[in-house]
Order: sequence, then structure tokens, then C-alpha cells
Amino acid sequence: MARLAAILKALWRAFQRGEKSFASLAGNNFFLVAVLFLGKAGSFLFLIMGLVILFPLSTDPLRKIPASRLALWPLERRERWLLRAISPWVNPMTWAIAALALWAARGSVTVGLWALAAGLFAAGFALSELPLLAGAAMWRRVPHFPGPLDQLVRKNLREMLSTLDFYCALLLSASVGIYRLLGRGLPAEADLAMTVLVVVALSSYAQCLFGLDGAGGWSRYRLLPLRGWQILAAKDAAFLMVVAVLAAPLAPLAGMGAALVALAMGRRPAVEDPRPQTRWRFSAGTSPVYGIVEVMAMASAASAIYLTSALLLAPCVAAWAGSLWWYGRRLETQG
Amino acid sequence: MISCRNLTRRYGEFTAVDSLNLEVDAGGICVFLGPNGAGKSTTVKMLTGLLAPSAGSVVVCGLDAAANPQKLKRLIGVLPEDLGLFDDLTVEEHLLLTGAVYGLDRAETHRRTSQLLHTLSLEHGRHTFAAACSHGMRKKTSFAMALLPNPRALFLDEPFESVDPVTSRIMRDLLQTAARRGVTVFLTSHILSVAAEIATQVAMIRKGKIVWNSPAGELPQSLEAHYFELVESPVVEELEWLGSPPS
Repeated sequence: MARLAAILKALWRAFQRGEKSFASLAGNNFFLVAVLFLGKAGSFLFLIMGLVILFPLSTDPLRKIPASRLALWPLERRERWLLRAISPWVNPMTWAIAALALWAARGSVTVGLWALAAGLFAAGFALSELPLLAGAAMWRRVPHFPGPLDQLVRKNLREMLSTLDFYCALLLSASVGIYRLLGRGLPAEADLAMTVLVVVALSSYAQCLFGLDGAGGWSRYRLLPLRGWQILAAKDAAFLMVVAVLAAPLAPLAGMGAALVALAMGRRPAVEDPRPQTRWRFSAGTSPVYGIVEVMAMASAASAIYLTSALLLAPCVAAWAGSLWWYGRRLETQG
Repeated sequence: MISCRNLTRRYGEFTAVDSLNLEVDAGGICVFLGPNGAGKSTTVKMLTGLLAPSAGSVVVCGLDAAANPQKLKRLIGVLPEDLGLFDDLTVEEHLLLTGAVYGLDRAETHRRTSQLLHTLSLEHGRHTFAAACSHGMRKKTSFAMALLPNPRALFLDEPFESVDPVTSRIMRDLLQTAARRGVTVFLTSHILSVAAEIATQVAMIRKGKIVWNSPAGELPQSLEAHYFELVESPVVEELEWLGSPPS
């Protein structure tokens, strides 16, 4: 048992040090918006919020120990079983789900709500067990693009598709599509609101465009004979393509305006404070205040374009181009 | 071809590289040796523009590195310490990216890519994402990326570590061929036998300072003996429990 206790102690320490999920949530724009509109939200938004909150928190602590190291340790079969059974309790979310089960048993919360939370937790837990590395076979089919930045754009697209932000936005966009397929019309204002929500779900990623490149990627950018604006443009191209596809059934021009604002405003933290991100988690922006200001600017731009004139896309393009030029230079001079 | 004057890098109070002066002629292979943490990788980073020096200057292929960073990047090939690979690109895609970015046409990029994949035994893993590659494959990919644009100077940070003996031999042959054709090579290594075999110039660094710099032929004794004498001698502490019967 001493061996097991030593491993669990190390696991607890590693989990505490490495656990950034709470911090990542605090800086995620969609989470901020969901919290702000909590009182007015319908069950659908609650469900998505549940996903947003529970997925990042539902990690398997045992993943903190490299599988090869775990296999090499001289543990008995019984000790391995015990480790498997006890280690999930290192994650505070396991205790929360257990507490919810107790409340459900006493009738304080419905069994359905507990089942939903437990299901989301189990899904997140299982997902964190899967070897969803960069380089899954599904990413091979990313299309090619013209020009010398082809491979960089493809890489950036793959990176974006391995964040949960994309799938949250996809869920929102697809839900509107399904709603329409069922023959139900949406009021025009709903198109705008859903477009803003879709771009908000993606916008935290604009604050950490280099978060999945790692130290090696960062070195390569500095070695390639590319200007800073070209490196940023390859990032932006992937981001704008995703927005264009997801906003297409909603309000595409408003979506592009909001996306350009998100990129322009996200530039400073993306370039000057590059924060490492984790795959299959929500992107963590720089701070809640920054996120709220960004969301307000995006919503204003989208509303202005949607409700007045498409010409208002021009200032968004100008702001984006200005940020591209300025932070492209900053990128080149970083030592 | 490669020249640095009073090259210095400080991190607060700590000086990682201290007033380094070094010249490597065109077509030379300079092997830069030193223990872990001596300042080798910091030097390579400063020579290649990955890190700004705190003081001093670097001239590579006649270009001042600080004044012409973009022009210089087109002339050099680098295998950095962290290999500089993207997890989300395959081995082949890394090479195609390099060709496109360095201005090679599509056909030439594909031709050189195929040749390098074949030469470095990377063909079987050409569609493997870097994240899923072994360390040796990653190193070979980064080495191939350094060669593909046909640079005038090569900077390689520990190129032979963690590659198989056959590939190591091939890499040495490629470097010697390039050097014979006028390419300047600057590399760091901990494998003294390989270093002794290919070096035309040997420099040794200890605690950020150059302690030896000469043509390889002017070493007073074998490279290994000279390294142990000048840089660090291997002192093995007696660990009385090692190999004793378990209690």
C-alpha cells in the first residue's frame, strides 16, 4: 500500500500543477457569454454550457503518469486495479458528481439532471482516455489551398479542428440547420444572434492562435523565410474559413465582420503573450475582461453589418489588415 | 563564411555565452563541443537568428544577421535543438512546406523531397504526422528540411543523437559532400567519435567561454582525450549500493 500511496500522492501533485481547465474556462468567451445570459437561457443553451463546463474538467488524472512508466513500475495486479479505482477521485469533479448523485437520491435534484451531468462527465473522462493526438488519420483529408502557404494553412486548420471551440460552434450552427430542416422558420434576429454565438464560440481561439504550435513550431516560424504578416495570414485564413462555413447558413457577412474583429482584437495576446493550449479542450483566452470587450466589439460589428449595411464590413477589414501589418512586424522582432 | 565577434547572451545575472569569437571558413565543418548547459545551443540559436544576442555581432555568408534576418534565412539550413516541427504536419508535408516557402518550384520540391525521403529512410513514414513519429524520425525530418533548400551554411544542433547507425553514416556523408562543394557546416555534438571523424575545425565551450578553437589537425591528442582534459573529466562517484544484493 505504501507504493500506491506514493503514486497517488505524486498524482495529486501532478494533477494540481497541471490542471488548467478552470483557468481555461475563465478565459473562454463562450463560457463568459453563457454565464452572462444564464438567467435568460433555454434548456438548449444549458446543455451546451454543460458541455463547455464538464468536458474540460472531466479528465482522467491517471493520464498524468506516462503509460510506459506506469507499465514499468513493479505493481501487483491488485495494486493496479486499486490505482485505477482510486485515481478518478483525485479529480474534484468526481466528488461533485457523487454529491449530485446523493442529492438526486434525496430528491433535491432530478435523476435526469444527474444522469445528464454524469453522462457528460463520463464522456469527457472517456475522451481524455482516447489517444486523440495531433495527427489522427481524419486530419489527412484537409483540403489543399493555392500558394506557398498551403501546408501552413492546412496545419492551422487541423489545429483548429482539434479544439472543442470548433465543435461547440458546429453544434450551434448545425442546430439551426436541423431546426430549419424540420420546417420551422427562424426570425431574422435569431440568425444574427446565432451568428454572434457561433463566432463567440470560436473567438477565444483568436487570442491564442499559436497555442498548439508548441516550442518546435515557434522555432520553425522564426527559421522560415516568411514575413510575420504571412505567418499570421496563414493562421487567419484557417480561422476565417471555419467561420465562413459555420456562418454560411446564418448571417455570413455579419459573421465575417465579427470574425475579423475577433482576429484584430485577439492579435495582441496571440502574438505578445502566446499561451500554450491543450488539444480537445476549450481555448483559454487572456482574461475575462478582455474577452467581454472582445465579445461586445464582435457583437456590435455583426449587428451593424446585419442591421444597416454590408459596407460596414470595410472598417472591420481595415482593422484586421492594420493588426496584420502591425503584429506581423512585432512577430519578426521578437527575440 | 561564419563569423562572430564578442557574441554574448545574458539571462539576468547569468551569462550563458560570454564574448564568443569564432570564424568558420567556407567549406569547413566546425564541430562545437561542450557539456550540457555549456552554451552550445544558445550559440546556435544566436547564429541562426532564433535568439537575439545581448552583445556582439554575427556575420553569415557575408550578411550581418541582425541587419538582414530575412535574406539570411534564405541562405541557411538549420536543425534546431527542438527540431522545429509542427505536430499537425506529416513528414512529407514538412518538406513540401519547406520547398514552397523557400521558393522552389513544385516539381523541384517534389523531386528533392522524394530523394531526401529515400536517402534518409523516411519513405515508410512519409505520411506519419510529426506528433506520432519516433524521435529519430523527427530528427531526420528536421535534417531533411535543413538540406532541402540547398543552403550555403548549415547549423545543426546535435544531429547525430538518437538516429540509427546507418542514417548517422548517411548524414555524415551528406555533410561531407556538402562541405566539399563549399557549404559551411556548424554543428554541435556529444558523440566524440563522430565529431572526430568529420570535423575540419574543433571548438570547445565550457561555462559559456571558448576553451579551445583550432583546425582539427592541430589537436595535441585525440579529440576525446583533449575534451576530457580541457572541458570535463569523467569522475565516477562510488555508489556503494549499486550492484549490491538487495537487502
